Amino acid sequence: MIQFLQQLINGLSIGSVYALMAVGYSLVYSIMSFSNFAHGGVIMLGAYFGFFALTLLKLPFVFAFIIACVGTTLMAILVERVAYKPLRERNAPFLYFIISAMGASILLENIVIATIGPTFRTYPTVIPRTPIQLGALAVGRLDLIMFFISAVCLVGLILFIEKTKMGKAIQAAAYNIKACALMGVNTDKIILIVFGLGGFLAGVAGVFFGMKYTVYPQIGNITTKSFIAAVFGGLGSLPGAVLGSVLLGTIETLVAGYLSSQFRDLIAFVILIGVLIFRPSGIMGKTTVDKA
Amino acid sequence: MKRTLMAVALVLTIVLLGCAGGGAGDTIKVGWFGALTGDQAVWGENEFNTVKMLFEEYNNSGGVEVGGKKYKLEAIGYDNKGDAQEAVNVVKRLTGQDKVVAILGPNASGNAIPIAPVLEQAKVPDIATVATNPKVTVLDGKVKPYNFRVCFIDPYQGAVAAGYAFDKLGATKAAILYDVSDDYSQGLREFFKINFEKKGGTIVADESFNAGDVDFRPQLSKIKAAQPDIIFMPYFFKEVALTANQARELGITQVMMGGDGWPSEQLISMGGASVEGCYFVNHLDYADPAVQDYKARYLAKYGKETELNGYLVHDAVLVLVAALQKAGKVNGEAIAKALEGIEVQGITGTIKISPETHNPEGKDAAILKIVNGQYVFQEKYAAQ
Repeated sequence: MIQFLQQLINGLSIGSVYALMAVGYSLVYSIMSFSNFAHGGVIMLGAYFGFFALTLLKLPFVFAFIIACVGTTLMAILVERVAYKPLRERNAPFLYFIISAMGASILLENIVIATIGPTFRTYPTVIPRTPIQLGALAVGRLDLIMFFISAVCLVGLILFIEKTKMGKAIQAAAYNIKACALMGVNTDKIILIVFGLGGFLAGVAGVFFGMKYTVYPQIGNITTKSFIAAVFGGLGSLPGAVLGSVLLGTIETLVAGYLSSQFRDLIAFVILIGVLIFRPSGIMGKTTVDKA
Repeated sequence: MKRTLMAVALVLTIVLLGCAGGGAGDTIKVGWFGALTGDQAVWGENEFNTVKMLFEEYNNSGGVEVGGKKYKLEAIGYDNKGDAQEAVNVVKRLTGQDKVVAILGPNASGNAIPIAPVLEQAKVPDIATVATNPKVTVLDGKVKPYNFRVCFIDPYQGAVAAGYAFDKLGATKAAILYDVSDDYSQGLREFFKINFEKKGGTIVADESFNAGDVDFRPQLSKIKAAQPDIIFMPYFFKEVALTANQARELGITQVMMGGDGWPSEQLISMGGASVEGCYFVNHLDYADPAVQDYKARYLAKYGKETELNGYLVHDAVLVLVAALQKAGKVNGEAIAKALEGIEVQGITGTIKISPETHNPEGKDAAILKIVNGQYVFQEKYAAQ
């Protein structure tokens, strides 16, 4: 029982890392209907921004965190302007967007390799590694903080989209961006805001990822799993992305804990294929329009 | 794939720029490959720097005399990103395009194993540095004619680790965590397991992960529940540091032990207090007087400490130069022949390449312990 609860805690913690990354995918997908693979690259930049703010500028953690998030917000917007806007203006097919996204992701990774270097780096210890003991259960301090901040960010994001006027415009654009433009909404601005929000979350995810694990140019590859989680939960749906991530994290952990650790990825990909076959729009995805 | 090609192209350009300007006289082209990007980039960079430094030293003192004629040495290095497929590609390029007469590296067994057919076709010998898996030089009981190495092998390393854990540390229950996608890790796990069980110990947990994984808590929770005396972790320093940190977060206090994939400056900077008090099997003792001169030269030239790989590639260069002189001609086939049975006094010990296995005979292993963030030599330990 203790073992099961401990594995459940592990699963939730892994799931919350996926969730922070997955939401960025879903957000962009809901408006632009393509998978923004450059998101992984922006997360990687976030990890580096936070790292250098902490080590070179020697800023307190909170400021480093803010710098990283602002930095990635700007970077995500820059990626949109450089890699996607020219395509949007030409009404390019959606396949071109994906190719452009992959290009941006490779570009970001190689810029970092060429300028900062290929080796991995370690965040200074901001939060002690000693766990909080709840009886026989061990809960990491960083995990708790991460879980809390992720929850605040995600709830804040959902409130923003549900309650504000701009949020309503985003919802409308997600429903039908062309009609939305015809109604006089500035869709260019909406796209910018969506990328900015995605970038902000990428900063949060990047800093936490760096603190929890390590910083290296290939961090972007990790986002494959969170992309699976986003598809699993339903691309385009924010609660879906969170649910998918938590489920994927938990399933992975339980498979590794009770079946065999070698089956972990096997099961993750079988789930993805299964979802695509039986429920192409994911658990909470939009079923009305099949944009993919 | 595209990503890989781009990185290779980038490094290629840099390497070509670095190597331009050979000067007068004949040169001997020697290839090197290893990881200059990716997880093991620190090691690759360290190896290639050492090769370049040693070649420069030879060239400044007039070059190497082969068959009565002086030659300059030229190093041509490529990045294979630590990838097995890419290893085959760069060896094809080194032998086919650059026409090197011998290749140094790589450090990883998984990269050294698949290159044999290319070497055999091109008749160019390769001297691996820290590739310890038996299959690097011997496959199905037959020695590979063009593969050599300067380090001990995993059956020996596994036996040393198991013996030390059981006899010296008094562990009777061991847990293993290993990288299922890596030849080195799989081999070392197997040899540890066999030897530990032969001694009378039991393996209470045998868990694995995949290359690229960053979270090991599910496996570690399982290991914790099995209550081992020691945790054996036969893989590389990045994952070692991540595992150690996560293990301590889960309240696992047991001693951890590993192989020669551990030692790196980065293990200490990343693992910190989590790896304190842990043991690993190494190729040498860093305080050994024999290695001090090289260590100082490297520090003076590059402004940072050398890694484990530098010592081994240093000896690989000595062995290669001796083989060139013994062969008396600049020809891959002749060098391969000369390498068999060659005996060279290296800084990591006497290297006597056995003609039957192409491994150095009788190299001792050193046991190191991490104390206050330093690698502290415990003893030279031979497996019984």
